[in-house]
Amino acid sequence: MTQSDTRKFSFFLQSAKDVFVFFFSLAKKVRKTKIFFFISFLPVFMAFVVKFSQIFSLARNIEGIYIFNNMIMMFYMQFLILILALFYGTSVSSEELEGKTLTYLTTRPVSKSAIIIGKYLAYTGLVIIMTTLGVVFSFLVLNLNELYELSLYKILLRDVAVLGLGLMCYTAFFTFVGTILKRSIMFGLVFSFGWENVIQYFPGSTQKFTIVHYLKSLLPSPSTGRFSFLLFRLEPSSTGNSVFMLFLITGVFLGLACILFTFKEYIMED
Amino acid sequence: MTIKEKGYTHWDGELKDGRFPWWPITRFGIKLTFKRKFFKFLFALTLLPALVWLVGIYISERLEDFSFMVRGDQTDFLNVNPSYFNTYFTNDFLLFMMIMILVFCGAGLISDDLKHNALQLYFARPLKKQDYLFGKAAVIFFFLFILTLVPGLIFILMKLIFAGNFKFINSYPWLPLSIIVYSTLLTSFFALYTLLLSSVGKNRRYVAILIFGIYIFSDIFYGIFYGIFRSQYFSLLSIKVNLQQVGAVLFNQRTPQNVPWLYSLLIILGICVLSGLFLNKKVKGVEIIK
Amino acid sequence: MTAVIQTQNLSKWYGNVLGLSDVTLQIEPGITGILGPNGAGKSTFLKLITGQIKPNIGRVMIHGQNVWNNYAMFAQIGFCPEQDSFYEELTGWQFLTNLLKLHHFSPEDINAKAEIALDIVELTKDKDRVIRSYSRGMRQRLKVGQAIAHDPNIIILDEPLNGLDPLGRRKIIRLIKEYKGEGRMIVVSSHVLPEIEAMTNRIILIHQGKVFAQGDIHYIRDLIETHPHIVSIKCSQSRLLAEKFIGYDYVLKVHFDLQKKSLLVETNNRDKFFSLLPSLFIDNNIEVEEITSPDDNLQAVFDYLIGK
Repeated sequence: MTQSDTRKFSFFLQSAKDVFVFFFSLAKKVRKTKIFFFISFLPVFMAFVVKFSQIFSLARNIEGIYIFNNMIMMFYMQFLILILALFYGTSVSSEELEGKTLTYLTTRPVSKSAIIIGKYLAYTGLVIIMTTLGVVFSFLVLNLNELYELSLYKILLRDVAVLGLGLMCYTAFFTFVGTILKRSIMFGLVFSFGWENVIQYFPGSTQKFTIVHYLKSLLPSPSTGRFSFLLFRLEPSSTGNSVFMLFLITGVFLGLACILFTFKEYIMED
Repeated sequence: MTIKEKGYTHWDGELKDGRFPWWPITRFGIKLTFKRKFFKFLFALTLLPALVWLVGIYISERLEDFSFMVRGDQTDFLNVNPSYFNTYFTNDFLLFMMIMILVFCGAGLISDDLKHNALQLYFARPLKKQDYLFGKAAVIFFFLFILTLVPGLIFILMKLIFAGNFKFINSYPWLPLSIIVYSTLLTSFFALYTLLLSSVGKNRRYVAILIFGIYIFSDIFYGIFYGIFRSQYFSLLSIKVNLQQVGAVLFNQRTPQNVPWLYSLLIILGICVLSGLFLNKKVKGVEIIK
Repeated sequence: MTAVIQTQNLSKWYGNVLGLSDVTLQIEPGITGILGPNGAGKSTFLKLITGQIKPNIGRVMIHGQNVWNNYAMFAQIGFCPEQDSFYEELTGWQFLTNLLKLHHFSPEDINAKAEIALDIVELTKDKDRVIRSYSRGMRQRLKVGQAIAHDPNIIILDEPLNGLDPLGRRKIIRLIKEYKGEGRMIVVSSHVLPEIEAMTNRIILIHQGKVFAQGDIHYIRDLIETHPHIVSIKCSQSRLLAEKFIGYDYVLKVHFDLQKKSLLVETNNRDKFFSLLPSLFIDNNIEVEEITSPDDNLQAVFDYLIGK
């Protein structure tokens, strides 16, 4: 790597950082973020309801960690992170086009790739914070009686990491979708709640064509029981392979998004 | 020279409102929806259940021709009765596809007007707020009636035609009314639900996510609480189950959940009323920014 | 003077709709007005030279460098777009400072430049209000502010005076002239002719996607031979003056405007005609009230060129 390449790369990183700071602070102010924060915290409310019910013997005494792993985590993994990644991922490029503010960014000495990377990082960071806070508080509430059990925190860290990886990967994918398609939401909904769900029923290698397969491979195998309706037949990949694939998918789709955004012409309707 | 001398004469007539001031809004909304790419494909897909049920009605009258499909004497599944209609109107696929239609055609109904400040243009015309809202709701009514009321009435008609007699309608004379009432309730609920969410934001993508997300989320919420508490009363949290409860009652069937159907109806009506109140407050010609 | 902006056979289509057709131009430093009616192709031209859209044919160069995807050159370019869109949740201050951050200035420089820009566009008092609460004029001024905040050498303004009150317009026009004095290059588009006339004599006339004329207003006017100059003279002895004009071959037509009590003269040589006038007035003792050139302005040039 020559000196000018190093300079270009550090300039690129600086630009991405500036874009990240801009959009992270902007996203925090927007009302939609507050609403998504509220939705992310609904499992905490659920956890409180369950806990109070157990305290007052209104509900069956099921272990907090069991509820956390089989319901709260599944809620986040099969619903919430998809919704958050879909909205924020497609927003990376779509909101600039819809809001006609793209001009302000593309008339700065900042590469288009840096804009995509910066915005992606800002939004991914934001949704990871949203879900992590929700997951952590749900965990604490549901395991109020066992907070001294250090082994439980390993589970929490694992689950937070899995959700983080999931958000990183899905947001990258939807960033790409938002760059290429005008009606990205419809495609995103069909992908998230159609493809990702249906393909899991298929045995063998077909499952590897979903992102959720790799996420579920990082979690322990589901027990059969009343909550198995939330989980489908899984033939897990190894941990290393799953993490590698998630990073690979993230890198590939983010790269494609950067290339497309750089060379595609966006005509904003007057 | 006065105006009178130039041939101008004052008109003393009464200014009348147009008979259907909401109609241009509806017509434009429908036209715009059909112009969207892939909508026609999606809409055709939503008509699949209707087609399948129609074929079922045909087969029910030609059982002898299709006896190879039937094992032994098990022909109950092709018994065209109110349960058959209830199954059509409350099936998960149809409700899901209706939500997808709402995402496509309903998300931008009010949000696009808010984004482009078009409400001022609307209310600078002789148009009342209720005309505006009804015009928007009528777009949703159009599409959802094609999935509910129209197929329902066609099923009855086709049943009579294929049977060659009026035995079916004589056995269930209340069925057409049930179809009309349930279709109207279902469509009104979804119209108000969609318009409420569409008025919440100026970003159509965000509204689309809310329309879809809240529907699915309510069902997930029910599933989780039911899993813990094993109480069917948590089904009241689910939009889908509430609609299925009311549908079952209207088609004179046993409700899917062991919960008084009146609660489900009250929840549906409550959401409708709240949506109406919110829309009345939100939709105005002038936005005051604090 | 070397051209800063050069275009070669620049053409742009939007599907079947022609945006710009075969535009070959060189724009030199100073103020250049891009003039044309709505839909003429002005915004398309400005978007092409700022790299917002790609040309279908031809190319655009600024300082000899291709514009498309050349983000580095935007350190020296400021662009004020036509559309009225912002990050509505931000305040004016946040909007400017965040955009300045993308220029990699130090925090102190960012604050200083933002203060100066807000001061120039007179938004200092309202800098902490959210943009959503700004009036139309304030939003327009903020747009101009973001275009000039980073002190660019090349400023491209697409309809910068839209939505401004007369005082606001005068201030922006004065600012543009000041920038010219500092040696910057300004390209400004408008469909309002007096605005362009107030800023510059150098124009590029665009109509239906084509460049009809480029250069000094008066020079262009002189070139329009098919439309002789009209001079209106209000004086005491118009008939006597008319009699004197008949003998000159560059006086093509003489017409009496009875209502305005003036003489309208058509000539194909404005300079010679104006040189003649003083001697005629003195020799014949004619008292002159007023002499005007009704069509020596941009409106007339514009109308003649587009064939109205």
